[in-house]
Amino acid sequence: MNRRFAALVALVVVCAGAGLVAGRGMSPSALWDVVGGGGSLTERHILFQLRLPRLLVALGAGACLGVAGLVLQSALRNPLAGPEVTGVTPGAVLGAVTATGLGFAGWESPLAVVVAACLGGCAGAALLWLLAGRSAGDPAQTAVHGVLVSAVLGGLTAMVLLVAPGQLGSVVQWLVGTTEGRVWQHWHLLWPWALAWTAAAWLLAGPLTLLRCGDDIATAAGLATGRARRLALLCAVALTAGAVAAVGALGFVGLLVPHLALAVFGADLRRSLPGAALIGAVVVCGADAAAQLATRLLAAAPDGGALTLPVGALTTCVGAVLLLVVVRRAPDRTF
Amino acid sequence: MSAPTATGGARTAGRRGRWRLPAVLVLLAAASVCALSLGTPYVPVHRLPAALADGDTTLAGVVVGELRVPRLVLALLAGACLGAAGLVLQEALRNPLAVPEMLGVSSGAALGVAAPLVLAVSVPAAAQPLLAIGGAALGGGLTLLAAGLGRSPSAVLLTGAAVAAALQAALLVLMVMADQLDLQIVYRYLLGSLSARTWDDVTGLWPWLLVAVPALVLCAPVLSVLRLGDEDAEALGVRARRARFAALAIAVVLIAPVTAVCGPVAWVGFLAPHLARRIDPRAGAVRWLPWSAAWGAVVVAVADLPARLALAPVETPAGAWTALLGVPAGVALLRSGNRRPGRRRRGGAGAAPGPGTDPRPVPPEQVRTEQARAEEVR
Repeated sequence: MNRRFAALVALVVVCAGAGLVAGRGMSPSALWDVVGGGGSLTERHILFQLRLPRLLVALGAGACLGVAGLVLQSALRNPLAGPEVTGVTPGAVLGAVTATGLGFAGWESPLAVVVAACLGGCAGAALLWLLAGRSAGDPAQTAVHGVLVSAVLGGLTAMVLLVAPGQLGSVVQWLVGTTEGRVWQHWHLLWPWALAWTAAAWLLAGPLTLLRCGDDIATAAGLATGRARRLALLCAVALTAGAVAAVGALGFVGLLVPHLALAVFGADLRRSLPGAALIGAVVVCGADAAAQLATRLLAAAPDGGALTLPVGALTTCVGAVLLLVVVRRAPDRTF
Repeated sequence: MSAPTATGGARTAGRRGRWRLPAVLVLLAAASVCALSLGTPYVPVHRLPAALADGDTTLAGVVVGELRVPRLVLALLAGACLGAAGLVLQEALRNPLAVPEMLGVSSGAALGVAAPLVLAVSVPAAAQPLLAIGGAALGGGLTLLAAGLGRSPSAVLLTGAAVAAALQAALLVLMVMADQLDLQIVYRYLLGSLSARTWDDVTGLWPWLLVAVPALVLCAPVLSVLRLGDEDAEALGVRARRARFAALAIAVVLIAPVTAVCGPVAWVGFLAPHLARRIDPRAGAVRWLPWSAAWGAVVVAVADLPARLALAPVETPAGAWTALLGVPAGVALLRSGNRRPGRRRRGGAGAAPGPGTDPRPVPPEQVRTEQARAEEVR
């Protein structure tokens, strides 16, 4: 098990290195110069002010999404409950878009965006809570209502964008999910939040493992299932909101990373929770590196210069393909 | 099960039929009259026939005859298509949440509209609807092929979600590339809007309807058998996979042209079947189909009113209104259906609002279907 963790950490380092090297505008040898203390002023700026924060934000957001997905799936006992499905991501997007569209926030005040996204994510989850009401303990019902809540929130986001169409260009990135142009400010906002709530999730690992076994067994083992589930949901909402505020709605990360983590580290959340964080970081960072590399290759091609591949599109595509593979391999399983 | 429920449905219909036909018709008529007379210029109801007769000699005649009537006809047609397609999907996949958006049809059509716009490829005006229809058919066909031509309902739903997500990702890449003006056009289209549609758009729908409506009539009886579950359906002599594939293909043919013309008007295909079931819970798919189409028409026609008038000089997309108002209404329907005594215990998940939403005893095979459905949701 420790060997698996070591392998994952090595993978994180490799992905981080790839993410640093992959971008446009600087050759790997120039990068090496800068690391050795040399390099021109521009190159130093590119590495330390642009690439490093972007890399860290990608790692942090990936870890947040992975942990949030695993916590949600364990608390709701629903293998299909990602943050996208439970109204948290759409709510956070709505919050960020509303704040930007109505002029409360913008590029110069990232803190307002984080706060608005958190409020929106909490509002989305609260809406789901209101809707599911008495049947909140029932996982299937919760997931079904989550889809509907997502639809309502999507409609609201559309309305906001129609009222303030001038902001459309700048908020599309929240709908897509991209790490383009993230700077140290974003990282300074992300890490305390992520650290606090990841620690909370870690403390909840034991109760969550029990919740995975079913309410009856958890109650028999002396767990207050309702309270544990509520705390877990709060934790997942906060983590997702932080990630969305930082990078936008990255599709399928919160849905698929937990499955990978469970496959690699087993169902004991005390092990698979850190595992999910590492895998999430690897996935988002790797996807970011791949997206940058693809953008660079496309820029070399004739008339492809305008195209920048957002990382959200890449994760969504990969997730969709994985989902197809899963469905084709187990066609008659009822999910 | 068709025989006992058919008689039960007929009995219920006899009792409730007195108000249900007038109710839909009154709603439809009210929405139509409002759609024709409200707005700028306001044309009083008693002036409407005269305005229509005037043709293009007066301002009111032009506005009513050339702008409002085609828009209303388009709203009614689109709503009816989406409502019928929604019912077909929900029955064929045995899932109350199977909506047209889940098949990848809407995303495909949006991609077909957005791609030439953003990539600055000049396309002749006549070919633009064909591109959208092609995209819609591509999305739907991809889903059906990848799902093994209708192997199992849950496989179709999940595959649809995956295909829709992949197409959505492609669309997002396009949106990131687009400049501000293109972005607004694409976004407006994505929400589903009826603004500035003319008779040309309406006539573009007819050939598709000519194919779809007879097929729909032929496939309706099979749908009520499919609801029993694959094993029971096969025992009754229906080849379940083939029947499901046919039903899904019909749904694609119904949705694709509507999406191409108006954009994906969201959640009509979710709301209309639930309203139809609500009126006559005991009947089968054959009886629900026309009601679902009628309710779909009512929903779109009603949603188009605030879309046109709420923020008066600015048009808001009808799809945003159907999503904002339709989803809460649908949820209320689902919940009130679930709350009836005896339902929650038996249904288990309770997430599957069965057709048996009345307190009377339900035939055993129906209970079995509901349990299967609840398991699917899980």
